[in-house]
Amino acid sequence: MNPLPVLAGAAAAWGLATLIALTCGSTRAGIRVCCAVSGLGGGAALAGGVSALLSGNSRVVSAGGSVVVGTLQLQATSLAGVFVALLGLIAVATAAYVPRYHEPSHATGLYLGVFNLAMLASLAVLVAGNVVTFLVAWETMALLCYLLILRRPRRSEVAAGAFWFLALSEVGFVAIVAAFVILAAKTHTMQLDLIAARAHLVSGDWRVAAYLLALTGFGFKAGLVPLHVWLPEAHPVAPADGSAFLSGLITKLGVYGIALFGFVLLPSGPAWRGVLTMAAGAVTAAIGILYALNERDIKRFLAFSTIENIGIIITAFGAAMTFLAYGQRLLWAFLLLAGLYHVANHGSYKTLLFQEAGVIEHATGTREFDRLGGLAHRMPRSSVISFVGTLGIAALPPLNGFVSEWLIFQGLFQGFRTGSHLVAILIVLAAGTLGLTGGLAVYAFVRGYGIPFLGMPRTRQAAAASEARQPQAGPTLLAVACVALAVGAPVMLAGLARALRTITGVTLRPVLLPGNLTVIPAHTKFSGFSPTWLTVFLLAVSAVPVLIYLAGRPRGASRAEPVWDGGIVAFKPRMQYSAMTFSAPTRVMFDALYQPSVSVDRASDEPAGSSGPVHYESEATPIFERYLYRPVIRAFEWLADVVRPIQSGDVNLYLFYVFAAVLVAYLIAAL
Amino acid sequence: MTSQGTTELTVQENAEELRRTVTRLFGRSLHIRTLDTGSCASCEQEIRLLAAPHYDLHRLGFFFTPAPRHADLLMVTGPMVRAFENAARKTYDAIPDPKIVVATGACALGGVYQPDPFTHGGVGGTFPVDVWIPGCPPSPLALLQGLLVAVGRLADKVKDLDFALNGTPR
Amino acid sequence: MPLWTLRGLRRGVVTTRYPARPDASAQLLPTPPAFRPEVLTPRLADRLAAVCPSRALARDGDMLVFDVGACTACGRCRAEAPEATAASGEFELAATARAYLVKRIPLGGRPA
Repeated sequence: MNPLPVLAGAAAAWGLATLIALTCGSTRAGIRVCCAVSGLGGGAALAGGVSALLSGNSRVVSAGGSVVVGTLQLQATSLAGVFVALLGLIAVATAAYVPRYHEPSHATGLYLGVFNLAMLASLAVLVAGNVVTFLVAWETMALLCYLLILRRPRRSEVAAGAFWFLALSEVGFVAIVAAFVILAAKTHTMQLDLIAARAHLVSGDWRVAAYLLALTGFGFKAGLVPLHVWLPEAHPVAPADGSAFLSGLITKLGVYGIALFGFVLLPSGPAWRGVLTMAAGAVTAAIGILYALNERDIKRFLAFSTIENIGIIITAFGAAMTFLAYGQRLLWAFLLLAGLYHVANHGSYKTLLFQEAGVIEHATGTREFDRLGGLAHRMPRSSVISFVGTLGIAALPPLNGFVSEWLIFQGLFQGFRTGSHLVAILIVLAAGTLGLTGGLAVYAFVRGYGIPFLGMPRTRQAAAASEARQPQAGPTLLAVACVALAVGAPVMLAGLARALRTITGVTLRPVLLPGNLTVIPAHTKFSGFSPTWLTVFLLAVSAVPVLIYLAGRPRGASRAEPVWDGGIVAFKPRMQYSAMTFSAPTRVMFDALYQPSVSVDRASDEPAGSSGPVHYESEATPIFERYLYRPVIRAFEWLADVVRPIQSGDVNLYLFYVFAAVLVAYLIAAL
Repeated sequence: MTSQGTTELTVQENAEELRRTVTRLFGRSLHIRTLDTGSCASCEQEIRLLAAPHYDLHRLGFFFTPAPRHADLLMVTGPMVRAFENAARKTYDAIPDPKIVVATGACALGGVYQPDPFTHGGVGGTFPVDVWIPGCPPSPLALLQGLLVAVGRLADKVKDLDFALNGTPR
Repeated sequence: MPLWTLRGLRRGVVTTRYPARPDASAQLLPTPPAFRPEVLTPRLADRLAAVCPSRALARDGDMLVFDVGACTACGRCRAEAPEATAASGEFELAATARAYLVKRIPLGGRPA
């Protein structure tokens, strides 16, 4: 099936939804209709994406254009198929989520219009067939996302977060333009598939420069460390569905860009390019989760977790590129496949978690961990859905996060096949870093699920939480998707293997899925694992305690007594772990990274309580902000100060500039 | 057991049946939870010595446990200070049945302290006590004897003593 | 560690064999008193009851009521009337009923 008409249908649906939102978004019925149309568009995008995955690269379709910007060309590639399908899934889930989340108002109508246009722009980025289409769509997407974040522009942190997003997006855009310009100039064409075909025309140095520029530029959007600073500022301040879209899809557009340059446009390169990418990914993953453990706000915590997962995906891509440099084509394709699978998985469970964070925020009025607690009893369905998402993101079996991380690890463990001792050691180091990240992720998500949902409510608002009239359809759909991606992993992997054959030319299916249910990592006799059988096994094993209980239940009278609490008078919520104390061990162990600054304020030196309270404050140093961004910003401000005298405001000076410029132009022409 | 429809056991036979059941359940493996309801801790020091090499209660199959859920026997010392009564009751309730309560030391048995606004003067009113161990503090040997009486491995000796000396002074 | 092991092996087993065999240290224990009925008079019984800090002694008619459970073996009654009391030497005093610990000793002495 040709995916392009289906995707055109999706785009039309989103355009129609935008119109509906802008005109009648201030009524509840208008919002419902807009979301229904948007959801249909999402379904079409999902179908189109899957079809693009399976049917290979479509032909390039020219859709008009102008002399100034060139032709608008579209092509649905297999690589983009995963991302388009993910966009479709997120669109459907958001469409189910929005009606109960947003209050109908004029601002909501505008917001939904912008949202649908942003989805349309993202689709355009993914199906762009030439450089100009890509860049125009990219910039449009960035601006629309900026407007998306600004749903409540009068709040100060919203404006700051949105500004960070736009500023760093633009800096990245400069690098992306430079990368594309290099390639287009050297291959004398603007069409992406022709650039890929003529990649050999670009000499080694230019290839490296283009790739590094692309890695930096797309890294800004994806959230690679140290280019990630905007992510924890921008994602939390957007409304929940906006944050979900940003984390679930927009960061993946950065990943798509890196994959485009690394695997399609410039597939072959020196090994150090892959090692650099892998190292960047591993560092990103570790730093992302370490900072996530230090957060008291649910959405900032999830934003840092996004950084961690992006790091994992980029590590997989980097290792794939390294393997290709040593001729290991199977592992090259395998790790690309594993990375793309992780893209789909992360998109599904991160969107779910952000949507649930929005539900919690609306139910309790707060986003801080230390003000929540005991929500499992008060919001049972939301807690079950969040639990599915948490299991997925903590990469615990049998869910989808586990399958994709297992694949990535198995690929990394085969580093010895490169034949170079140094590179093999570096790959193992990356695997070790991912292992640390995985452990910390479980720790972080025990905190992320346990503190809000389990235990006793820590405040009255948490005790009064209720999930009546809260959106549930959207998160439920995503939870079902997570489970389906896990249990149906063989189907998913078979589809991805088809796509990989188009992208890389490597036939992965026989060495990936020899039977129909077992997955092996590209080489037999290394390891194997069956996600479906694992799920069945875990379900069967969890039946054992149930059976033991049923068989061994006391037949005589039994007595129910409260949980043993040490005989204290009453259990108070403040006796529980707080989010920050739970993660205190990491702050102690990694204090070289956090460099906490501690301030203690006491009325006198008497022991606490006899002279008044003691005020204790500990703050982790924002390393990248302080040591990288602030100096760069200060340097630019200095430069602006130096240059300011040019703008004196004096008309005569400006006329002199015009005269001088014309004079210089004559002189140059004369030479 | 008579040949009539209902079984009619004498008090004596009941007690014997109970002792046999208790010995069967706890005779070789008993987990003890100690509870201090306001004592001077002398009894606690003697109880601690039970785990030391000289007295070694582990050789008899007895163990200390802090968790009431895992305990079989509650060893109570102290005169039951009123402020502690709630916690003591909670501890008793948290121990699963069947359980044994042993009151240890003169304070718990009603000596030393009279009932007043701060203390009950003894633990008899708070729990149903099974074995009473006198002493101030009871030596570890007395404690061992008390525990063995509680699980039915030794017979209760004191009921046959009369504390009256007959004949020449010792 | 090796020194500790050798020292321990040289010292031998220190664990008591109680209850299978009597423990030698039991003879050193302070124990509740035993009374001589033929020496006890009502006045002596009242003096003993007054001096007991633990309310273990009381006079009920012509019986001395001795609550073994309340006795702390402080020795005050022995100091007050050494001719009427002596250490009982009994330390195995665990009782399955509180009443077993309340002893009634007849006051057989003739008032002087």
